[in-house]
Amino acid sequence: MRVIRACHELGIRSVAVYSDADRQALHVRLADEAYPIGRASPRESYLAPAKLLDVARRAGCDAVHPGYGFLSESADFADAVRDAGLVFVGPPGDVQRRLGEKTQARRLAAEAGVPVADGTADPVRDLEQARLEARRIGYPVMLKAAGGGGGKGMRAVASEAELAAAWRMSSGEAAGAFATSALFVEKLIERARHVEMQILADAHGGVVWLGERDCSIQRRHQKLIEESPAPSVDEALRERLGEAAVRIARAAGYQNAGTAEFLVDARGAFSFLEVNTRLQVEHPVTELVTGLDLVALQLRIAAGEPLPFTQSDVRRRGAAIECRVTAEDTHRGFVPATGRIALLREPAGPGVRVDSGLFEGLVVTSDYDPLLMKVIAHGADRTEALARARRAVRETIVAGVPTSLAFHAHVLDEPDFVAGRYDTGYVSTHWPPRSPARLDDSAATAAALVAVLASRGRAAGRPVASPDGAWSRAGREEALR
Amino acid sequence: MIYEVTVGERRLRVEIASDGRFLVDETVVPAEAVETRRGWQWSVRIAGRSHEVTVLTSDPLRLLVDGNETEASALDERAAAASRGAGAVRGGHHELRAPMPGLLKTVHVAEGDVVERDAPLMTLEAMKMENELLAPARGRVVRLAVGAGTKVERGAVLAVLEEAD
Repeated sequence: MRVIRACHELGIRSVAVYSDADRQALHVRLADEAYPIGRASPRESYLAPAKLLDVARRAGCDAVHPGYGFLSESADFADAVRDAGLVFVGPPGDVQRRLGEKTQARRLAAEAGVPVADGTADPVRDLEQARLEARRIGYPVMLKAAGGGGGKGMRAVASEAELAAAWRMSSGEAAGAFATSALFVEKLIERARHVEMQILADAHGGVVWLGERDCSIQRRHQKLIEESPAPSVDEALRERLGEAAVRIARAAGYQNAGTAEFLVDARGAFSFLEVNTRLQVEHPVTELVTGLDLVALQLRIAAGEPLPFTQSDVRRRGAAIECRVTAEDTHRGFVPATGRIALLREPAGPGVRVDSGLFEGLVVTSDYDPLLMKVIAHGADRTEALARARRAVRETIVAGVPTSLAFHAHVLDEPDFVAGRYDTGYVSTHWPPRSPARLDDSAATAAALVAVLASRGRAAGRPVASPDGAWSRAGREEALR
Repeated sequence: MIYEVTVGERRLRVEIASDGRFLVDETVVPAEAVETRRGWQWSVRIAGRSHEVTVLTSDPLRLLVDGNETEASALDERAAAASRGAGAVRGGHHELRAPMPGLLKTVHVAEGDVVERDAPLMTLEAMKMENELLAPARGRVVRLAVGAGTKVERGAVLAVLEEAD
């Protein structure tokens, strides 16, 4: 969707692919051309390079944009695209290989003079070696997949007693999600904030940083809220993070849009985590603050154009905050939920952007990521951005499947978050809320009435209370007395 | 018909009288409700206050009331009386149910095995995350309802355990 929008603006013909589960998806309907690539299971469709390249050839494509899931960080796929005589919109395969294997990326960053958290220099071979390394580094530690990110294979381990079980689950996840099941061990930095820096690099040596995003509001090491500027980052730290990201990009020979992720501890010291060699889900935050279209810039860079501006031309204005609305039951540990979207109202109004693939009738399955839509708000400062985000989230209605909207509404109003006092432990300490928002008498009465009407409708197998039904008229008469 | 209704932590008695009037805790409420989406959403006016109420999910019933999510339930009096009578699960048996929809990746036990409380029984993969399902109590696995490689829905019974001493 996001890429198709940029293509339409630039006058580029767009070709979409879809699995059997996505025939009705919005990206299929909006694209100029669309081709089926197989069954719902990703391995038989979106993760099948041969099928994707076959469509690209048949449709006469010039370039392939990998989006931000699936094969977007696959060096082999980037190579395969190039070998097929097409342009890959992203960093070349060898650059991805340099940064995609996490222990190698850590080494590269260290050599570029960027601080790196204590950890294993290479992937660890087995549980026994992990035990030794974890002892050397000192608990708590993180187990991480060497082959990729997205929270998969990642686990905090507080003590040696937990290591074996964590090792087993993380290996299994990594094997399922990445090319390698290899894991490595890293020192866990407690009470840290997850801050990342957006960069752009062209094929002519031009590299700029655009600003940071705080992505500390996470569950299962996956982000739920991102904002820029980060409340904890001042101008001096911002420049140091920006320069660090640019140094890493130069050392790797980076091209296209990318993100360097850092952990910032309570004292403002930072350490490098990894580079995401793709467009990120949360890129709209940076787009709203800088006024740039990152996807359009990705396409221009891929076409061989130099960056149309330099570092000193980059302006950041105001603040932006993104809520990732997911299909999850936030009251039962954020377990993924499924269902059919029965009713949808997307927010609008000043300073609000919605990136969404939702439509009424969409069946949310467990085949793909639970992300439903992103609600992004921009304001002249953080206070205005928060007010708009709060307003937009409360205006949003998604019925038919449990969503994270109540979580977002709560956090946007919660004093610690509003004050910018939060770190990666926030969700576990602030959710579920101790005292849920209480309805006033009038609202509770309205809810009680609807609870009855909805239950009666279901019991009778049909909706009750048409607008002109007898009791509704009676109510109106009461209201006029 | 009279209903026993809960909204969040409140309990209310709601009656829709035969003349269509709406009573809460035996007091007539001047309410006007317009169904804006069949079965899913109502606009309710009470003495000039305007409320929008959307059914988010029906089982369990969750409502969105002017942007606030709340749990709710409505039972007619007969059903309410019946549900108070029921409730006891068969003594000594524990059902392991799928906490989320997903793919049952591995089954770590066999029927007849005696397992400790919190022993991993199965691994359920959902959204590419692996979740170990643990034994709710020490007991003997009397039934495995599904095998590895099966896609399961939320709430599906996966195994039955008989408490062991």
